[in-house]
Amino acid sequence: MGTKILTVEDDERIRQAVTLALEEEGWDVVEAATGERALETFIASPADVVLIDIMLPGIDGFEVCRSIRRTSDVPIIMVTARSDTHDVVAGLEAGADDYLTKPFAPKELSARIRAMLRRVRAHEPGTLERTKIGELEISPDEGMVLRNGEELHLTKTEFKLLVELASQPGKVFSREVLLERVWGYDYFGDGRLVDVHIRRLRTKVEADPASPRYVVTSRGLGYKLQP
Amino acid sequence: MSRQRWWRGLRARVTVAYAVGSLLLSFTVAGATFALARAQLLEAAESQHREQAYTNAKSLRANLQTALEEGGSADGSQVDINAFLANLSRFNGSQQALLLNESTWYSPFTIQDQLQGYPQLIDGTRRWSVADMRIDVAGTVSYAVGIRLDSINATYFEVRSLADLESTLSSLRAILIGVATLASGAGAAFGYYSARRALTPLSRISTAASAIADGDFTMKLDLEDDRDLALLGSAFNNMVDAVGHRIERERQFTSDVSHELRSPLMTLTASVEVLERRKDSLPDVAQQAIELLSHDLDRFQRLVQDLLEISRMEAGAVQLQISQFLLIEFLENVMTQSRNPGLLMNFSPGDSDLVVSADKRRLAQVMTNLIENAEKYGGGATGISYEVVDDDVQIVVEDNGPGVPAEERDRIFERFARMGGVAGNRAADAGFGLGLSLVGEHVRLHGGQVWVTDRIDGQHGARFVVQLPLGPDRALHEEMAS
Repeated sequence: MGTKILTVEDDERIRQAVTLALEEEGWDVVEAATGERALETFIASPADVVLIDIMLPGIDGFEVCRSIRRTSDVPIIMVTARSDTHDVVAGLEAGADDYLTKPFAPKELSARIRAMLRRVRAHEPGTLERTKIGELEISPDEGMVLRNGEELHLTKTEFKLLVELASQPGKVFSREVLLERVWGYDYFGDGRLVDVHIRRLRTKVEADPASPRYVVTSRGLGYKLQP
Repeated sequence: MSRQRWWRGLRARVTVAYAVGSLLLSFTVAGATFALARAQLLEAAESQHREQAYTNAKSLRANLQTALEEGGSADGSQVDINAFLANLSRFNGSQQALLLNESTWYSPFTIQDQLQGYPQLIDGTRRWSVADMRIDVAGTVSYAVGIRLDSINATYFEVRSLADLESTLSSLRAILIGVATLASGAGAAFGYYSARRALTPLSRISTAASAIADGDFTMKLDLEDDRDLALLGSAFNNMVDAVGHRIERERQFTSDVSHELRSPLMTLTASVEVLERRKDSLPDVAQQAIELLSHDLDRFQRLVQDLLEISRMEAGAVQLQISQFLLIEFLENVMTQSRNPGLLMNFSPGDSDLVVSADKRRLAQVMTNLIENAEKYGGGATGISYEVVDDDVQIVVEDNGPGVPAEERDRIFERFARMGGVAGNRAADAGFGLGLSLVGEHVRLHGGQVWVTDRIDGQHGARFVVQLPLGPDRALHEEMAS
C-alpha cells in the first residue's frame, strides 16, 4: 500500500483535478469536501500527509488543523489564498508544517510531500549521535527528546529542526540554510516557516519561551542552539 | 504656479477692482460735493453782497443828492465823492467806485481801472440798471455789482473780495481729496480682505483635492460655517464619496476577479499537468496543443498573480516581510534562478559582506522582472552590479539592447506600458506590461527608487537602477561568515 494523502477541498472540480494529478504522481488519495468529513475520515483511517484548504465551509482549515494536531504529528500542508497574509502565520501556528498558495502545481506539492516524508521516515541515522545539551537529551534514532528525563512531544518538523540546530551547537544557522535542510526549499523559501516553527519549538523545549535558554535568535540573521 | 504673474491672481484682480471702483466712486462723490458746496456758498455770499450794495447805493444816492443840491456843481467838483465812498467801505472791507455823467470816475480805492477792464459790466448797468459779475482784482476773485442811479446820472459800483470764500473752498477741497483718497485705500483694503476671505474656502478645497489625488478618500471638506458655500461643500463631499466608492468597487472587482480566477486556474493547472505527463502517448498535434496550453496557462497564472499583487498594493494591504540577508548571496541565487549563463556580477570587494534589509521574495521578484524585461527587450541582461552610494545601495541591471528612449523612461514603470518604440521585439509571448510596474511598486514600498538610463560605459543598452536605503545593520554579523 502506497502513501496515503488526505485532500480537504470544497471545490469539487479542483478536488478532482488535484486527485487526478496526485494519483498520476503515484500517491493514494482520499478526498474530503468539508472539515467535518475530513476529521471523520482521518479518525477512521489516518493518512500519511494531510492537504487542507483554509477556506472551507463549516469548520475552517485552521480548526481542522488544530483538531488533527491534538492527536497526531502527521505532516500537514495548508493551501492558502495568498502568501503575504496573516493566513500563513495563522495556519503554521495552528500546526501546519508547510503551506502552498493557490493555484499551485501538483508537481510542486509532490515535491513538498516527498520532502516531508523524507524527514519523517528517512532520517539518516548517524548524522547525530545521542546528544545532551543542558536539560535536553536528543535521541535522533528514536525520534525522541527528553527534558529532565521527561519526553517532549514534538512534531516531525520541529524535531528535525531541533536536530539540525543540535548538529553544531553554538553555530548560527541562517533561515535559508534551515529552510533548505529541514523543508527542502531553495534560497527563496519563506522565512516565516522557520520563525513560526522556532516559536513552537520554544514553547515545548524552553522552560520560559519568552526568554529562551536553548533556541536563541542571533541578531535577526538566524538561530542557534545554545550549548 | 510661480510662472503666473501676480496680477493674474484672483485675489489681486479683486483687490484692484475694488480699489479702482472705490477711487472712482469716492472722487465722483467728492467732486459733486465740492461743486455743489461751492455754488451754494458763492450764491449765498453774492446775494448778501448784492443786498449790501443796494443798501449802500440807496444811502449814497440820498447823500449825494442832498450834497449836490446844497451847492455842489453838476460835475460834483465841489463835493468830496471819494469821502462818501470811503465811508461806505468802513464796515465790510468792500471797495466802491462811482461813474458820474458817464465820464468821470471816482474811487478812493482806484478800482475804476479794473472795472473798466469789464465793459460788459458797465454796459449791463446801462441796459438793465443792475449788473453783477465775478472779476479779477489783483489776482483775487472778487464780486462786482453795478447799480444805475438815474436821479443823479451816475452808476455805483461795489467790489468785494471773495478771497475768504476761496480759502474756505480750497480747505474743503483738500479735505474732500483726503477723504476720497482714504476711501479708495479702504476700498482696496476691503477688496483684498474680502477676496482673501472669499478665497479661503478655495484654498481649503485645493488642500482637500490634493489629499484626494493622493488617494485619501476619507478627506472631508467642512464649509458648514458658510451658508453660501455649504452647498458646494456637501456637493464636493458627495463627489468624493462617490468617486471613492467607485474606485473601491473597482479595486474590489479586480481583487474578486483575480480571486475567482484562481479556482479554475487550479483545476486547469492540475489537469494540464496530468496531460503533460501523458503527452508521449498522444498524437503530435495533441502534443503541440498541450505545449501551447501549458505555456499560456503559465503566462495566465503569472498575470493573475501580478494583478492580485497590484490590487493588494492599491488596497494598501501589502505587508513587507523584512529580513536581513547578504546581498551577494541573494543576487547569486537570483542569477542561478534566471538560468542566464552570460550574466556577470560586479561589485567592489569591500562590499562583499553587505547586508540589506528587505522583503526577500519581493526583491527577488524585482530582480527577476528586470532580468526578464532585459530578455524581452534588451536581448538579455549582460550584467548585474551593486554599489554603495551614501546611505543607499544601487543594484544595477544592464543589457545591450536598444535602450529606452528618454521620453519613455518614466512611463515604462506604469501599468501595461510597453516600449512602443522597440518594433519587432514585441514577440507574441512578450507578456503583459505588469512586470516593470510591479518593480516600481515594490521598490517604492521599500522606500527606494527605480529608474532607467543609458549605459554609462559608452555601450548601447539600458541601465536599470534599483536604489534601496541601507538599514543600520549594513555590516555583516561576524558569526554569519563561518
